[in-house]
Amino acid sequence: MSPVSICMFLVVLLVYSLTNTSASSAVRTAANLVYLESPTDTPAEKLEGALLNALVFVILIAFVTFVLVLLYYYRCTSFLKHYTRFSAFFVLSFMGGPIFLTIIQHFNIPVDSVTCFILLFNFSILGVLSVFSNGVPILIRQSYMVALGIVVAAWFTRLPEWTTWVLLVALALYDLVAVLAPGGPLKILVELASRRQEELPALVYEARPTTNANISGSRGGSTLAGLLVAGMSQNDGSDHGVELQAVSASPRTNIGNYENEIASESGHMVINMDNDDEEEVEVVREDQEETSPLMAGNSRERSRSPMMYESTDNSSRRLNEVAVAEMMRPRRERDGDEMIEVMNGRGIKLGLGDFVFYSVLVGRAAMYDLMTVYACYLAIISGLGCTLILLAVCRHALPALPISIALGVIFYFLTRLLMEPFVVGTSSNLMMF
Amino acid sequence: MTVAAGIGYALLALGPSLSLFVAVISQKPFLILTVLSSTLLWLMSLIVLAGVWRAFLPFKTTPSSSAWLPYSILILSSVVFQEGLRVLFWRIYKKLEDILDAFADRVSKPRLFLTDKMQIALAGGMGHGVAHAVFFCLSLLTPAFGPATFYVEKCSQMPFFLVSSMIALAFVTIHTFSMVIAFNGYAEGNRVDQLIVPVVHLVAGMLTLVNLASGGCIIGIPLLYCMALFTLLHCGKMVWKRLADSQNR
Repeated sequence: MSPVSICMFLVVLLVYSLTNTSASSAVRTAANLVYLESPTDTPAEKLEGALLNALVFVILIAFVTFVLVLLYYYRCTSFLKHYTRFSAFFVLSFMGGPIFLTIIQHFNIPVDSVTCFILLFNFSILGVLSVFSNGVPILIRQSYMVALGIVVAAWFTRLPEWTTWVLLVALALYDLVAVLAPGGPLKILVELASRRQEELPALVYEARPTTNANISGSRGGSTLAGLLVAGMSQNDGSDHGVELQAVSASPRTNIGNYENEIASESGHMVINMDNDDEEEVEVVREDQEETSPLMAGNSRERSRSPMMYESTDNSSRRLNEVAVAEMMRPRRERDGDEMIEVMNGRGIKLGLGDFVFYSVLVGRAAMYDLMTVYACYLAIISGLGCTLILLAVCRHALPALPISIALGVIFYFLTRLLMEPFVVGTSSNLMMF
Repeated sequence: MTVAAGIGYALLALGPSLSLFVAVISQKPFLILTVLSSTLLWLMSLIVLAGVWRAFLPFKTTPSSSAWLPYSILILSSVVFQEGLRVLFWRIYKKLEDILDAFADRVSKPRLFLTDKMQIALAGGMGHGVAHAVFFCLSLLTPAFGPATFYVEKCSQMPFFLVSSMIALAFVTIHTFSMVIAFNGYAEGNRVDQLIVPVVHLVAGMLTLVNLASGGCIIGIPLLYCMALFTLLHCGKMVWKRLADSQNR
């Protein structure tokens, strides 16, 4: 939850400080191919144009997803890996660059162009390296994920208003269809990956460090218990995630990941396992040669991807099925703390597409008022919570977008149309309750 | 007035809540979730109220201060609705407490302690207070980050932002602690406590009506702070008594 909050907060900040300067530069992007909105059109025209735009965009995304599924089917994994690296570089430098420049112009920061270029270049290269390698500290990788999300979201907020809202709704629907419907591309991807017991190269935010120990199943029994507890306390039946290190040709790694499980920074609820449950999980563990570290469960959430790159989610592991079953029995007392906490320290693995579209929604709300920002933020967080609970119940891949986006859009329009005249009317007369 | 002033106003309204949050609530993730869901609940209550009253706004008021009546009806209805929602919140919390206790029994760990229950009530109250502060005060603060300031004629001694932040601070205190009082009242079946909370809320809401009169805020705001202080003291006394009782048992 907290990386999502940080991303949204930074996007709101960016939108607030840069709204004046960006003005009405109509950017023609893939989301604008059909219809370029201008303030003088009638609402009917705008709605029609926005629908067409959204349709074209969704078709484009679906096409790209199918291409990716094909590539994955024919095992062109290294191509996918290189493509993801290229898109990370492209996003950070060519899309982050203009934002960077706008900030410099807006705040009159004295820096010369050569320094600027070198800084940007270094920034992008480090981003590319951190996205896929294991040697980079987890904090850097997380920051770069958030940075990628911010850059793409900031670009999306430049779209005109009607197009943005219709696009968000269309993408939420697409996500729903693509993940749950029998012919959906993301569903095929998940099944392929699970059948091959492999992991996809994808861009995913993960909240805990992972090491790539190339051990498979050979662990001392004594440490196993401790690790299991620590490990289970990291994941819980939700979220998805692909291990980014999977891209390399050693899928059977990651059993060692448990060692570095520290309570995730996200400060979520931790579902700790009781000591009694360990044996069961242990047995299953020995059967597993390869595991996706920490992943809980069958339940994954899929994430949407914008045009630039696909962030897809991974499949489930049998281990995790059991783990999830164990985890559904929460409650364990924390040391010395009397309160029984329902703690869920999931190493959150959230697809980057989710970050982007949540931030786009909040950024667009920020362009109206702070009240709408807060309302949409609450709606998205509670939607995320609901999705996670649903995930723990359903235990298979679920789309992360629909519930949050639906709640967010509803709350935005309700707040803007209903609540604002009411609250502003009373509080500007200094009457509150 | 400037970014500094804007941040100052925001902290004036939300500073104590922030420190309470960092000190007490951020230690336990469950409490953070309680704050978030409580804020969501009160946001929804505000939306429902706004939906109902939308048709009647803005009030057409003649200069002869007949704005009292519609506003007072508005405040009365809103307070009644919110207090009703508080009872609903209590019922949901009761169910949650039962579930938690059942789990605790199953894994043979101790049940929720009294301090834990009070902390949950505090978190719930804080959610209410933060929702109030954000929607009634912070959302209007955006102009305060710019170069100028704004005065309302009815209360021309201080900038509007300062007045609204101060009122918001008083209300945040009232909301946060009256939730604790209310939960304790419902748990123990103590009629006095149960009734004090809606009464305080109503009185505080009505006090702000004084702000409609010119210069009214000079009287209104200190009285509001008296209510906040009263809530604080009552809550403190009640908690002290309850803790002392449970220790003696």
